[in-house]
Amino acid sequence: MIVVLVTEALVFVLVVAGILAERPRALMLTAVAGAAALAVPAAVPRVRATLARAFDEHRVVALVGGAVGALALPFALRGSPYWTFVATLALLYVTIGQGLNLQIGTAGLINLAGAAFAGIGGYTVGLLTVSAAWPPWLAVMVAPLVAVAVGTVLFVPILKTRGHYLALVTIAFVFIFNVLMNNFEFTGGPQGIKNIPTLTLFGHRFTTAPRLLGVALPAHANFYCACLLVATVTTIITRRLHDSWLGLALNTLRDDEIAARCCGISITRAKITAFCVGNFFIGLGGALYAVMVGFVSPPDFDFGYSLVMLSVIIIGGVDSIPGVVLGACLLVPLPERFRFLHEYRLLLYGLVIVLMLLYRPAGLWPAGVRRYR
Amino acid sequence: MPPLELLLQQALNGLMLGVMYALIAVGFTLFFGVLDVIHFSHGDIYMLGAFAGLTALAAATAAGVGSGVVALAFAFLASILVTGLIGVAAERLCVKPLARASPLMTLLATLSLGLVIREAVLIFYPRGADPKPFPRLLPQGGFEIGGVAVRYENLVILAIGLAAMIAVDLVITRTRMGAAIRAVAQDAEAAQMMGVDLDRTVDATFFIGSGLAAVAGILSGLYYSEIHFIMGITGGVIGFSAAAIGGLGNVYGAILGGLVFGLLQTMAAAFIPRGSEFRDVVAFGVVMLFLIVRPRGILGARTVERV
Repeated sequence: MIVVLVTEALVFVLVVAGILAERPRALMLTAVAGAAALAVPAAVPRVRATLARAFDEHRVVALVGGAVGALALPFALRGSPYWTFVATLALLYVTIGQGLNLQIGTAGLINLAGAAFAGIGGYTVGLLTVSAAWPPWLAVMVAPLVAVAVGTVLFVPILKTRGHYLALVTIAFVFIFNVLMNNFEFTGGPQGIKNIPTLTLFGHRFTTAPRLLGVALPAHANFYCACLLVATVTTIITRRLHDSWLGLALNTLRDDEIAARCCGISITRAKITAFCVGNFFIGLGGALYAVMVGFVSPPDFDFGYSLVMLSVIIIGGVDSIPGVVLGACLLVPLPERFRFLHEYRLLLYGLVIVLMLLYRPAGLWPAGVRRYR
Repeated sequence: MPPLELLLQQALNGLMLGVMYALIAVGFTLFFGVLDVIHFSHGDIYMLGAFAGLTALAAATAAGVGSGVVALAFAFLASILVTGLIGVAAERLCVKPLARASPLMTLLATLSLGLVIREAVLIFYPRGADPKPFPRLLPQGGFEIGGVAVRYENLVILAIGLAAMIAVDLVITRTRMGAAIRAVAQDAEAAQMMGVDLDRTVDATFFIGSGLAAVAGILSGLYYSEIHFIMGITGGVIGFSAAAIGGLGNVYGAILGGLVFGLLQTMAAAFIPRGSEFRDVVAFGVVMLFLIVRPRGILGARTVERV
């Protein structure tokens, strides 16, 4: 138990230090410490075994410790509203990534339209709150359903096409979505929708900075907590789905459709279910993004973001629930951390992804073999 | 019924776009043939071809080449060579090592490679963020025939595109290397048993495909008089769409698909209200519908799934 708590405290300190270290020396020190923390369990099998056993035996402690750490993060980052925002963004990508992972990882439906479905969620919130004056809470709850409803357009291609052809259809869908949003008058064209009202909870507006336990936190801490809750619930739901009969059926049809059909799995029903549930979470992520940032415009949801979403799940580990969390928490903040590289940032980002695929194709946290106890 | 002249005029414009799309699509379809992968960075290779051509033109001007024709010929050759080699490098580094992995891996790897190429041009080309004016080297002016305005430069672009396609067709159907490419596309293992060098054949295929993309890049520079580092994104997606409409793996299908896509765009722009804004919606919508109805493309081979 001590091992678990010490390890988690160490990870927490490293994460905070990694985010906040500014001076070159502090940054170097953190990088060395981080590398050492990764290298020791990787190189010494006994340390690795001890850690694995400790985490296995004290799961509850580990989860509670992780939750405390996640809740403590805004306190550690209180001096930097920007980093609180980035952390919140990472949590949104966890939500979106879990939805997309159910489609791409578990069911093998190559959906490159993630950005479009997030955009549908975001634009729905914008239209409902600004044009129809709905309360933001209601709009955020309806938006994922709209994403699912629009997703019905792709039902036939999902069932009829596979592999590269499905990839093309979904890419075409993102392009169509972008052109439409750019040219419709009611979506504000290239300007998008501005002044989306923010969420309120018991009269507390999410844009006002909260004071918790006597500590003044940046305003984004509100959204951090909300998104943490959403990301946690999403992860629990997708985990249960993944471990359920549905998840097993989806894995089977991903690996061999004919064999799946021989086992009595309805391909149509399984694929449609996975696609709709996935779109729900992707739309939810987009909707929360809209209320957090306060505006939506076409470039916020272009094809490049589909690529980021795809890299989150592949670098994390295809079909791996914890992998998605890890992927989102690494890939979203890291480019921000390396802002000092200026224009070389995206270039290196692309290179890192290519290298990862070549040398660690299973991802950082590969999906394990299913265990049934 | 729209007037016939308008229809013909739009058909000519569509043909112009179609030739460029077809040249990109042939690359996609050739790569799919030999390695069964979609090389998504091909669109950015096409962009690279345009920039290599522009650089070669600038170099030719700096070296004091007075004649436009010579400069242009030099630009084409240099760009085909450079872009072809970069295409081979991309294949060696990023496509072939992953060819046996799931399509998802090659998808993300080549999309990321495209990002790298795009960013590299943005950063390392002088003032890479701005659209670059492309010199007008083709004869200006034109004539009218039956109410259709035909510009000389359009004819030259068509002729160059057509020549490139015929050249590729000859290479594939008449040469030893072409026979090797066709053999590998049919069955890589059997081809190797017959003594075909797989690595060399794949390299040659990527050189040819990327070279064609370079031709398309320079042609698009000549046509629009402007090139931009982001042109590869839409260029790639359209090229892939064209290859898929035609049937992946089939060279003639890819050419047909490119022409169909170009015609769809121009017709949508001309005959649908606010069509110029929504032309891509129409074109991509048709592609989606088409893939639903005929998932293997116009000329694609019917495959029977075996267990």
